[in-house]
Amino acid sequence: MDAFTRFSNQTQGRDRLFRATQYTCMLLRYLLEPKAGKEKVVMKLKKLESSVSTGRKWFRLGNVVHAVQATQQSIHAADLVPRFCLTLANLNRVIYFICDTVLWMEQVAHDRAKREESSSQVPLGYSVADEETEWLQSFLLLLFRSLKKHPPLLLDTVKNVCDILNPLDQLGIYKSNPGLIGLGCLVSSIAGIITVAYPQMKLKTH
Amino acid sequence: MDAWVRFSAQSQARERLCRAAQYACSLLGHALQKHGASPELQKQIRQLEGHLSLGRKLLRLGNSADALESAKRAVHLSDVVLRFCITVSHLNRALYFACDNVLWAGKSGLAPRVDQEKWAQRSFRYYLFSLIMNLSRDAYEIRLLMEQESSACSRRLKGSGGGVPGGIEMRGSGGPGAPGGGLPQLALKFRLRVLLLARVLRSHPPLLLDVVRNACDLFIPLDKLGLWRCGPGIVGLCGLMSSILSILTLICPWLRLKP
Repeated sequence: MDAFTRFSNQTQGRDRLFRATQYTCMLLRYLLEPKAGKEKVVMKLKKLESSVSTGRKWFRLGNVVHAVQATQQSIHAADLVPRFCLTLANLNRVIYFICDTVLWMEQVAHDRAKREESSSQVPLGYSVADEETEWLQSFLLLLFRSLKKHPPLLLDTVKNVCDILNPLDQLGIYKSNPGLIGLGCLVSSIAGIITVAYPQMKLKTH
Repeated sequence: MDAWVRFSAQSQARERLCRAAQYACSLLGHALQKHGASPELQKQIRQLEGHLSLGRKLLRLGNSADALESAKRAVHLSDVVLRFCITVSHLNRALYFACDNVLWAGKSGLAPRVDQEKWAQRSFRYYLFSLIMNLSRDAYEIRLLMEQESSACSRRLKGSGGGVPGGIEMRGSGGPGAPGGGLPQLALKFRLRVLLLARVLRSHPPLLLDVVRNACDLFIPLDKLGLWRCGPGIVGLCGLMSSILSILTLICPWLRLKP
């Protein structure tokens, strides 16, 4: 219980837990919606997801300052490519938090509940030729072996890849379904929880 | 900027800021109502207060575990009175947070059949018991410090041969040439006690802060339980003051009262 207390005393720790809860609800809703007789459960999951999502905005208020500080730190990174990428990423985070704050203020002012946008249920389809399959398998094996030796990098890659599904879907660039988004964001939330609980697993810039 | 990042990284700090904002809204709403502001503005302030209240309930999920952990630590204190007061206070806090979690489940639609009024009354009762325990602990600490201070003063007076002007002097029955009147002597004793209390509190800022904070907080459950209706203005002002004081203890940890 002591470890849980220390973890939950950090704002980021609690936020990651709530994020995991939010996307678990999204995933469960996706799985239970087609089933008959589960309407009540689905409704409760929707309400929980909505409450947690609205409540999480309180964790994000003021994070603009965090993002500005992160931008200032990333400008001093030694290597050119991480310096460029991280500075740009943090600048975009600053703008994201500003938009998020404006959106929250508008929601509170007009007492508007978060509108649920139903994603289209486009199934994912692909086809790969034999040669390309072999090349892809070799590449993935090499990638996996390299990342296995650097757990913080593996965790950060998994987190970012899983997170990217949500904005791609919201912007209509790559429409998936709530189940995939829920699963992806749940995995990224768990990765985030691991980096808060074990700070040595956080990817550091040199 | 660095100070804000470090401060807001603590989940309790964010919850305290929201609490300060909530009671500021309550105070502002009361002031606007008194001065005949537009109903639209009053409605927006009430909505913001509602959002803050619900948001805080989410931020507090998991605080029961924290309170239980604090109670576990307090059981090992050496002083019996402190051990009792602090442990019982934390246990009541844990129950208060548990009731608060139930209220959140009801308000967010997860458990719509929850009787909001009944659970709100329960939570305020536990909150009131916790505050009474905190104030008892403060009174005990003050008494100990006053005894220490007055015995230190007596030792200084004895050491210096007595009759030193100024300082706190707890004389026996009447000074030289004083008439044997009861009331003036009682008034003098009372005045000396008050001066000693002021001196003790001035030299122990964490204890002073804790007393003021608990005293301000006391008005909230007293009003909500109908024991002493002081009105939304007083509740808002006291809630805002106690939130500012607890934010101060988070920014300056040396101002926090340690057992």
